[in-house]
Amino acid sequence: MRKYLRLHRIFIAQDLKKLMEYKVDFLMGAIGFVLVQAVKIFTLGIMFSAIPALFYKENGTIVDAWTFNEVLFIYGFSLIPKGIDHLLFDNLWGIGYWTVAKGDFDKYLTRPVNSWFYVLTEKFCVDAFGDLFVGIVLVVYSVISMPAEIAANIDWLRLIPVAFVIPFAVMIYTSVKTATAAISFWTKRSGHITHMCYMTNEFSSYPAKIYNNVVKTIITYILPFALTAYYPAIYLLRGEYPFHLLLTVGVSIVLFIISQLVWKLGVRSYESAGS
Amino acid sequence: MENNSMIHVENLHKHFKKAIKEPGLKGSIKALFKPKYDVVKAVDGIDFDVEAGEIIGFIGPNGAGKSTVIKMLTGILTPSEGFCRINGHIPTESRKAYVKEIGVVFGQRTQLWWDLALRETYMVLKEIYDISDEDYTKRMAFLNEVLDLEDFITSPVRTLSLGQRMRADIAAALLHNPKVLFLDEPTVGLDVVVKDNIRKAILRINEESGTTVILTTHDLEDIELLCKRIVMVDKGKKVFDGELSTLRELYGQMRELTFELASEKDIDKLTYSEKFNFAEDDFSIDAKGAEVKVRFNTDVASVEDMLSFTLSKVHVKDISVKDADIEEIIRRLYKGGGEIS
Repeated sequence: MRKYLRLHRIFIAQDLKKLMEYKVDFLMGAIGFVLVQAVKIFTLGIMFSAIPALFYKENGTIVDAWTFNEVLFIYGFSLIPKGIDHLLFDNLWGIGYWTVAKGDFDKYLTRPVNSWFYVLTEKFCVDAFGDLFVGIVLVVYSVISMPAEIAANIDWLRLIPVAFVIPFAVMIYTSVKTATAAISFWTKRSGHITHMCYMTNEFSSYPAKIYNNVVKTIITYILPFALTAYYPAIYLLRGEYPFHLLLTVGVSIVLFIISQLVWKLGVRSYESAGS
Repeated sequence: MENNSMIHVENLHKHFKKAIKEPGLKGSIKALFKPKYDVVKAVDGIDFDVEAGEIIGFIGPNGAGKSTVIKMLTGILTPSEGFCRINGHIPTESRKAYVKEIGVVFGQRTQLWWDLALRETYMVLKEIYDISDEDYTKRMAFLNEVLDLEDFITSPVRTLSLGQRMRADIAAALLHNPKVLFLDEPTVGLDVVVKDNIRKAILRINEESGTTVILTTHDLEDIELLCKRIVMVDKGKKVFDGELSTLRELYGQMRELTFELASEKDIDKLTYSEKFNFAEDDFSIDAKGAEVKVRFNTDVASVEDMLSFTLSKVHVKDISVKDADIEEIIRRLYKGGGEIS
């Protein structure tokens, strides 16, 4: 394990150096990211300027409601585990898009290190500072500008268990990417599958309650992105769903084990490419 | 049977399932719902042994299965049937322990990190292989001397020329002093001087460290200068295994005569078969427009006879004679019907 950390450090230093070298590339990426985020937040703002809050009705009566600040908080919170995964484990994307198809996965198998760790340590994605930055800004802003009666629900002691589950939330992202990337060992390319599964995280930045049962089940148990954002965030805000924090831990571990098995089996079926 | 050779390959097979797709959109849709597969036997039962310290040439035409065998030997691919054992390891079963003992270079594809400076690349490898500082310094000094890395050791890999990159790749494969070195086309695309340096380096490493080397190549010179023994494969099967000199005795008499006719119609005047009484295997002629390629056996007709006959019959613009290349030898070997060993 210490070996992997040392390796990771070399590549982190390298990617930071690269950042200095390709300043324009980084800047364009950062501007693009900020624009996308700005549009999303703007859309939320427009939506909430027309309605007082996001309501959830059962049989015609309002049973739950989320204010603009709360939705903004959930959204900002969702960017944190997503950003950490993006920062550290971004290299998995390439596996399904081109590494396996081109036969370049060969090089991960000729070194005496775990192939999955090797893939992970090889890249440090500085672009992810954008996600993390926007996420933290949104969380902080939504809390400070929160109406007092809503802010009164927050108990900052709840931050401790929430902070504890963040690594597990990251693991959910990483495991989904790992398992879907590993499909390429059989199909040659699976980048689009990874993309499709990954994008379901968009659902999870809104309260899970507003979706029908099918979507809710998917984003809680199958592609459990709601466990990375809505449930921990709303627990922090209101103390709701305390047991879903345990679910985040449990589901992420199960998902991690599955993704590792798929990866291991996949490597055995890897067919390389002609040279 | 107990076997103590460095590399032992027994009944090795690799089958790939290949989807058959009919042409056009209709074919694609059909393939989506009712996929049909064809089994391609890329490697179809190969056996051989390599002793410690040997350099063997592993050759065959494109698509013969060379790379597939190398990839199974290096633990990248899992054999469909049969097995290989290298220094006591089954590659796919104890991959991490196994690859510590081997070095791999793929000529077509670098294993270095594109953006890292070469020196940093070696630092990363030092970590990966847990090489001690002392061994690292000693080994680097040796590789530096043999492969002459000094001039570009601070450059990022992406800025290296092909020749520099190949030397860098070979050094990267040898840093941990492996017992076996796999070189898959290490001289492809290089100029004569660099090729020569790389061959010398391979010989020195083999002599000084006792490294066993398996080399695939299409360059007959690589084989001649480096290997005493060759294993030849075609269509997934072994067709020859033995000393290079044996092969040369058997097939070295073939020559290839290439020329351009002044007039395309003259081709009919070249009645080699009638003149020299060639058997079917000893002679072939290939004409593409004015370009003519004649392959013949010097036991039947000498180069001199062939040249003077050709020149007496037709006017040519350009003419050359060369040794039969590996592809040609293999073609004849395979046509001649299987194994000679």
